[in-house]
Amino acid sequence: MSAISAAVDRVRARERRAPTRKASWGRDWWRHAVGIIAAGFALFPVWFVTSAAFSREDSVSGTTFLPAHLTTKNFKQILTNTVPDQGTQSYVDSHFLRWILNTVGIAVVTALGTIILGALAAYAFSRFRFRGRRFGMMFLLLIQMFPQLLLIVSIYLIVLNVGDIFPVMSLNTYTALIVVYLGGSLGVNAWLLKGFFDTIPSELDESARVDGATPAQVFWGVVLPLAAPVLVVVGLISFISTLNEFVVASAIMQSQDHLTLAVGMNGFIDQKYGQRWGPFAAGVLLAAIPAAALFMSLQKWLVGGLTQGAVKG
Amino acid sequence: MPRLISAFSGTVGFGVKVGLLSILNALAAWAAYVLIDRQHYIALAVLVLATIGIDAIYFAKRTLPLKFLVPGVLFLLAFQVVPIIYTINVAFTNYSTGHVLGKNDAITQIQLQSLEAPPDARTYNMAPARDKDGNLVLLLQDQMSQKTFVGNEDGLKPISGVKANAFGIVAASGYSVIKGAKLFAMDKQLRALHVPVGKSREIQPQTISTAAELEPTLRYNARADTFTRISDGRVFRDNNAGSFTHGAQELEPGWKAAIGFKNFNKILTDKQFRGPFFQIFLWTVVFAGSVVLLSFFTGLFLAIVLNKKGLRFQRTYRSLILIPWAVPGFLSVLVWQGLLNDDFGVVNRMLHLNIPWLFDANWAKVSCILVSFWLTVPYFFLVSMGALQSIPEELNEAAHVDGGSPWQIFRRVTLPLVLVATSPLLIASFAFNFNNFNNIYLLTQGGPTQPDQPIAGSTDILISYTYKLALATGKGNDYGLACAVSIVIFVIVATISAIAFSKTKALESIN
Repeated sequence: MSAISAAVDRVRARERRAPTRKASWGRDWWRHAVGIIAAGFALFPVWFVTSAAFSREDSVSGTTFLPAHLTTKNFKQILTNTVPDQGTQSYVDSHFLRWILNTVGIAVVTALGTIILGALAAYAFSRFRFRGRRFGMMFLLLIQMFPQLLLIVSIYLIVLNVGDIFPVMSLNTYTALIVVYLGGSLGVNAWLLKGFFDTIPSELDESARVDGATPAQVFWGVVLPLAAPVLVVVGLISFISTLNEFVVASAIMQSQDHLTLAVGMNGFIDQKYGQRWGPFAAGVLLAAIPAAALFMSLQKWLVGGLTQGAVKG
Repeated sequence: MPRLISAFSGTVGFGVKVGLLSILNALAAWAAYVLIDRQHYIALAVLVLATIGIDAIYFAKRTLPLKFLVPGVLFLLAFQVVPIIYTINVAFTNYSTGHVLGKNDAITQIQLQSLEAPPDARTYNMAPARDKDGNLVLLLQDQMSQKTFVGNEDGLKPISGVKANAFGIVAASGYSVIKGAKLFAMDKQLRALHVPVGKSREIQPQTISTAAELEPTLRYNARADTFTRISDGRVFRDNNAGSFTHGAQELEPGWKAAIGFKNFNKILTDKQFRGPFFQIFLWTVVFAGSVVLLSFFTGLFLAIVLNKKGLRFQRTYRSLILIPWAVPGFLSVLVWQGLLNDDFGVVNRMLHLNIPWLFDANWAKVSCILVSFWLTVPYFFLVSMGALQSIPEELNEAAHVDGGSPWQIFRRVTLPLVLVATSPLLIASFAFNFNNFNNIYLLTQGGPTQPDQPIAGSTDILISYTYKLALATGKGNDYGLACAVSIVIFVIVATISAIAFSKTKALESIN
């Protein structure tokens, strides 16, 4: 014991003698080398996409480290749906702004629904003691292991058959896609939210109840405002996963103007890297910059939330 | 939040509740009306019971937890639990292209499709018309003899007073000929209208202005539940797997039938499926495992190197390294597909290589791992950074003072502590990559294709293989087999997750 504390004292003393200044370049050159290589690897595709977006070349083979002639024609083409379709004298059937609008609309509605449905269920699990509570929570945990990705065949068949009876819910409708997403949301989020609700002292609820508030008032007026930070995280996770979702959207959406960005962009570039790379790169920049900015600005909150459950790939 | 509270107080809150429930009930009533109209009585019963149940829950006093649970649970049931049950259900059937209908519909279809024009068949000019009572009839003119008839389900009658020109029949006394858009709208009704002639023949519309005499080539025997081919007397029997067969010959279409464990047997024993299935399974494990391990150790390495206090540009490096994580993944993968293009991709040109990154079976696998690695490193970099910073400084100092070499300190102190914090995330990430459809499908579509494999490509993982089995166009869709594969994947992922949960002690927080 004394040996360790003596050692610690010695280290402390040494630190006092040589106060830590900004580390010098000389000793840390290899750290910088690693950092630069890692940053270069991370930036490699970003750099070339940016270069291609401002280049006159339409083929990926013309992409260079710096574009030879700066131009904004790629942005104009992708934004006004006037990407020339080689060999047919007409334009490619694309709806870039519509895809973004579809995606944002679907993702926002899904995120709001996810927050409300998840918070309601999590509140019940956190505050009430009822028969089947334990079973319910275990059930959610189990359900989470059967992601909708695996259920795509039956989801497709169900939407196909239900849509035959109720056209509002048929294939190629926003409603169908949103309600399917909402069905998959509870399993992921109820646990995360319940964990947060557990940290809000239930004395708060009780005192509000004593003051005459109804359970609904306690939930909407007392608990939800206190849980705002975690609600933002849940909404953001939901937003990002909807943005990245491909399988369900590609199975349900069919006409070009109903597609989400992921399905639309995949169809747009499909094996056409020799012809549509320029406008495609411009579209990637337009879509990625706001998404990345949103993500980076909320990143601190996300890390906490993500390490508690979900993984973003 | 006084306003929010007041919105749910007393009469206002009650009003909101009644309003929402009224909307729900109105929707349910409309849905019930549609279901009655379509004669879906089981669905109707479910709908009525569910609506009554919801109303009861929200008006009763002692159902408080349920009031909070119902909205989420409804969606969960409809789009997660029902699909699970349906998946299990379909996995035990032969539901696939050519086996979509019920048996009775399939028999009708076979009968219809067996109709062929015999060598001496008559052909007719035709005009659909309505008689005095408004019933649909066919006005017919034999193209050979120019004789005119009127035909309906009861048979054929000669008539006179039919006016015809070069374009066909234009009018007939006592009948109003159907024309224009109305005619096109009747397409379905017309195709169902058969005029029996003679013993077994019938006249069927071929276009909207011609009809032909047809004869069935198969006869259905309802009592024996068999089809007999009239030309050679061969009998086709129900093979209990959704088809009428005679030896290897099968009548099209078949129907949806329960076939027990056949789909699972196929995966495990059928040469055509067993080979690719195990190969795909192996690759799925290799893919997920190598992506997670490579990304984790790289991320940890970067975190250790850059986690030095006072390092210049530390924040800059950190932000740049995180970029791949911040960009929506599907965009990055599509961009990588362009950069890795072997003919004119940027990677080959910059590095002066000539590697078929996406068109060679092995290189395509490398590309899949590389791109997923690029996407996953930032996550583990961030996580390791957090784990490293939570290790108390004194521990490293003590190990240093005790004479540990940097490698020993890493191996014996840092790594175990980091692993404690990150192992649940490693398992979760493995499970995630196990089903990482986007990274595979958007990069290679599971390809390149393999010789003598119609569906399974070289980089297909289980989930993309399932997707192709079920929904890939052009090759026929085998829903039954796809659902069976889904269930197998579930069992595998559930096993992995069970390990994960036993590690994370998530279950402890239930109480």
